[in-house]
Amino acid sequence: MVETALIESEAFIKGCAAIGAGLAVGLAGIGAGAGESGIGAAAVGAIAEDRGFLGLGLLFTVIPETIVIFGLVISLILMFAY
Amino acid sequence: MLKPEKMVKVALVGAKEQLDLASEILHRMNLLHVESLPETDYFKLGTPAERAGQISKSLLQVRSYISYLKLDPTKISVKRKFKKEEIENKLSQKLAEYQGEIGNRLDELKRINDGLKSIDAEISTIEPLKVLEIPPKLLKGYKTLKCFVGFVKADPVEEIRKITSNFDLVIKKFEDQFVIAVFVKAEESNEVYRILQGFGYKEIPVPDIEYETRISELTKMKEELLEKKKKIEIEIEELKLKESEIILAIEEYLSSEVDKAELPLKALVSKHTFVLVGYIPANSLEKFKKMLNGKGIIVEELSFEKEEVPPTKLNNPGFSKNFEVLSKTYAIPRYKEIDPTLLMAIFFPLFFGLMLGDMGYGLLIVATALYLKRIFKTEGWQKLLNIGLACGITSIFFGFIYGEFFGPFIAPEMKPSEVHFLGDLLAGLYAFNHGHPIFDRIEEFGIKALLFIVLMIGMFKMVWGFSMGFYNVFVEHGLKEAILEKGCWILGVLGLICAIFGFSYNLGIFTSPPPEGFGEIFPKNLFLNGNTVTEAKAVPLPIPGLVNGWEAGVNYFYILALPLVIIWFIIFLKAEIPKMGIFGVIMAVELLTWFGQIISYARLLAIGLSSVYLAFVFNYLGLKAGFEPGMAILPLAIVIMLLGHFVNFLLGILDPGLQSLRLHYVEFFTKFFEGGGREYTPFGRVKKFIEEGGE
Repeated sequence: MVETALIESEAFIKGCAAIGAGLAVGLAGIGAGAGESGIGAAAVGAIAEDRGFLGLGLLFTVIPETIVIFGLVISLILMFAY
Repeated sequence: MLKPEKMVKVALVGAKEQLDLASEILHRMNLLHVESLPETDYFKLGTPAERAGQISKSLLQVRSYISYLKLDPTKISVKRKFKKEEIENKLSQKLAEYQGEIGNRLDELKRINDGLKSIDAEISTIEPLKVLEIPPKLLKGYKTLKCFVGFVKADPVEEIRKITSNFDLVIKKFEDQFVIAVFVKAEESNEVYRILQGFGYKEIPVPDIEYETRISELTKMKEELLEKKKKIEIEIEELKLKESEIILAIEEYLSSEVDKAELPLKALVSKHTFVLVGYIPANSLEKFKKMLNGKGIIVEELSFEKEEVPPTKLNNPGFSKNFEVLSKTYAIPRYKEIDPTLLMAIFFPLFFGLMLGDMGYGLLIVATALYLKRIFKTEGWQKLLNIGLACGITSIFFGFIYGEFFGPFIAPEMKPSEVHFLGDLLAGLYAFNHGHPIFDRIEEFGIKALLFIVLMIGMFKMVWGFSMGFYNVFVEHGLKEAILEKGCWILGVLGLICAIFGFSYNLGIFTSPPPEGFGEIFPKNLFLNGNTVTEAKAVPLPIPGLVNGWEAGVNYFYILALPLVIIWFIIFLKAEIPKMGIFGVIMAVELLTWFGQIISYARLLAIGLSSVYLAFVFNYLGLKAGFEPGMAILPLAIVIMLLGHFVNFLLGILDPGLQSLRLHYVEFFTKFFEGGGREYTPFGRVKKFIEEGGE
């Protein structure tokens, strides 16, 4: 009886949505970080060879960041929808 | 604008004797992009003028002086330009003079440095000898004895004892190894030497006189050399001040002469004539013709075939020229392609400002850029800083719209003075709006609205990019290719956009009042089945068979999307199946990539939000730390705020800059910009130190 009330309560749903939003950004961040680590290492290597590569190397490094943006959009939707 | 400059292909023909004259004129005009030609039976590649060898040698000499003197032509501002004749007259005299004044001094300097090095080496060998505490005269000069003096890695006494008992040995520790002196009979010395070698023996030369005497002797020599070196360095420095401009002018003159002397290598020459082929900008053709025809050299305009690629000369007006560095980093546009530099000049600062959007940081960027512009005078830096300046100005503009000055001053349920150190003042600035900024991006409706606006920008740029891609393919390959390659994606993306609108409409974004939506932008009855928005909200994505009651969610946007997607799919199949076979169908997933790229524009909101909240937190912490009812430690507050805003400022330059660039490179350029052009490099050079002669 008590449990049903808890699951149906608005606060519970809001809490779950908040946790979900956090997970969306956090996990996406981990994923993007994992992706960037390889690119970043390679970019640093390339920059060590040729300093002129700095701009392009930085740019390559931020390419996986899109995934975090997806996570952020999902979390915004979660926060606003509930 | 938007297109590289129009080029014409020209051929120059003249008598062989005029080649020198032609190269002189062409070099001065700095217009002709010379193309190399294949040899034929009759026409062979020319040989460089005879003087080329001598000039190259002098040039090498001058350049070596320049590199020794560390002269940087980009950093020297020209006070007076030299006349060409002046250089020509002085050339041999000056070269001889430099040979004496710079060349000999540099040689001398090299000798001194070598001397210093050998003195240091000797001093460093005497130090370990001192540890042995045996005077040098006892270490050498025996007739029947052999004395080994040097470093070893371990004590060899046991090993030596195995061969002979008739020896004397002194061993002392020095740093991480041992210094050793072994006295043995001359006839046993070979065997002992072999053993010592096993211990890593390294001989130390023993001086003839007392250690201290020798060291003081060496130190004195060193001081003398250092003094000499200093004197020469000062002389060179004086020379550098006096002569730097003329040396650079000579270098410029000689480089030009080498260029001219080597032009025949690119020309075809027969027994009596020469031919040169190249490209010049179309608008200079008349001037070019007049100049050369007058000298008896014939200029003929050639038509170029379709597969020939003229060099690309970017043609961007004033301000947008600064942004060429950004678009060139991606690729140099092909001759017939759209040059995206101008678009970049508009959207790059705009996106930057949209993301950073803070008057304080914007002012800081402007101030920094203006300051650095005065220090770094090279062209590259100036261009980069001009870009920075533009970004700073847009940041200030958007900062005013968002109401941010080193962070926001409006926060829910808090007074401006509680969240910002200048809160009340800033709120006063927005008196026309009751203390509220024009657009508040940190409250809920603001975020929603901005998210939607940036996605709209994304959709717009997506379609725009594909349209330009359509144009590029149309110009190069014709209408059919253009429709198959780009046109179908325009339809696909339009379908996608309609679906996104349909989805948003079902969520009530276009019909509900804020904060749920934007108010009634579209009428409420755009549903196929005549239901209401409330009913549709339950089924925003009406997929038959997947969602119960999907009929309620079908609105006219979805109806519009359907034929677009169907036509896209048909054209897409027509384009892909011949190329990829039946598995080409899988490529249709690419439509989802474009969806992802539209969402990717959400970074315009996201990056800004992160910097706003960082600034907000630093201000809040600072106020709490500095004033009642908090810790009331003002210095701590100042440290927190300075440090925090400094970090946020650096992030605020780096991240919006990179992300804005990325939005162009990845999301925009890929739709139309292929690049791969050759840069237009005309024969000749812009003279910095030498005055151009008359006609």
